[in-house]
Amino acid sequence: MNIKGISIKNLAIYISDYLRKNGVDTVLSGGACVTIYTNNKFISLDLDFVLRSFIDSKKIESLLEKIGFQAEGMYFEHEDTEYSVQILPPPPSVGAEPVKKIDLMRKGNMLLKLLSPTDSVKDRLAAYYHWNDKQSLDQAISICRDNSIDLKEVERWSKNEDMENKFEIFKRHLKR
Amino acid sequence: MLEPLFNSDKKEKILLYIYTNGESYAREIASKFQFYLNTVQNQLLNLEEGGVLYSKLKGKVRLFGINPRYPFKKELIALLEKALIFIPEEEKEKFYKPRLRPRRTGKPL
Repeated sequence: MNIKGISIKNLAIYISDYLRKNGVDTVLSGGACVTIYTNNKFISLDLDFVLRSFIDSKKIESLLEKIGFQAEGMYFEHEDTEYSVQILPPPPSVGAEPVKKIDLMRKGNMLLKLLSPTDSVKDRLAAYYHWNDKQSLDQAISICRDNSIDLKEVERWSKNEDMENKFEIFKRHLKR
Repeated sequence: MLEPLFNSDKKEKILLYIYTNGESYAREIASKFQFYLNTVQNQLLNLEEGGVLYSKLKGKVRLFGINPRYPFKKELIALLEKALIFIPEEEKEKFYKPRLRPRRTGKPL
């Protein structure tokens, strides 16, 4: 498949579907989900796929190599795209909790599994809570504005992460 | 203590050192334990790849710490804390009790 000029969403669908059909089940996480859920308001160049179970890294390397992605340290690069791919170890998680509900996105007969908008908010808030990363806070707010989010669930999760105070800051920003 | 689990006594020492020191870098750990630098670098990268550690650049130094977003962080810390109880006091003093308060430049030891 020619991936020159492909969008991050379509590239994610293509890679995820290709890996799945070859026995590698993944969930898209991180900045690419933010790009998808905010309709490109935040641009990410990273495709972070989390494995759903342990797979030999050599198998993944060989599969990605077949579609033109070469391993560069922990990342995979392709000469026809600026997006880089990273395959992260299982389990798909947000903070200390496993991801419970996985969303699906289809294009023709291809399938992408990705974090739900609510888990994507948690994923961004985890970066804000633990690294104090303000850009991640902005991204979490932006996902909330463009999607239907279960804020009660985000609040429950934040308490479990011992981050009630920062959740209140997030809520204040959300109201602005 | 945790060698059978971690499959390496070096990995255990590296994790304990990073845990008790907050953050550290390959050269410091290698010189503290007299390990080969390459061995330490490989273990650190391995742990980072597995999501157990995070790394960040500070100046020219790559610092490693326990990843707060690692889903088993609480359980890992409980395990390391338990391992620390069994480590001889002398070893603990030497490797796992860092001086954290600041010392003014030029102040004699």
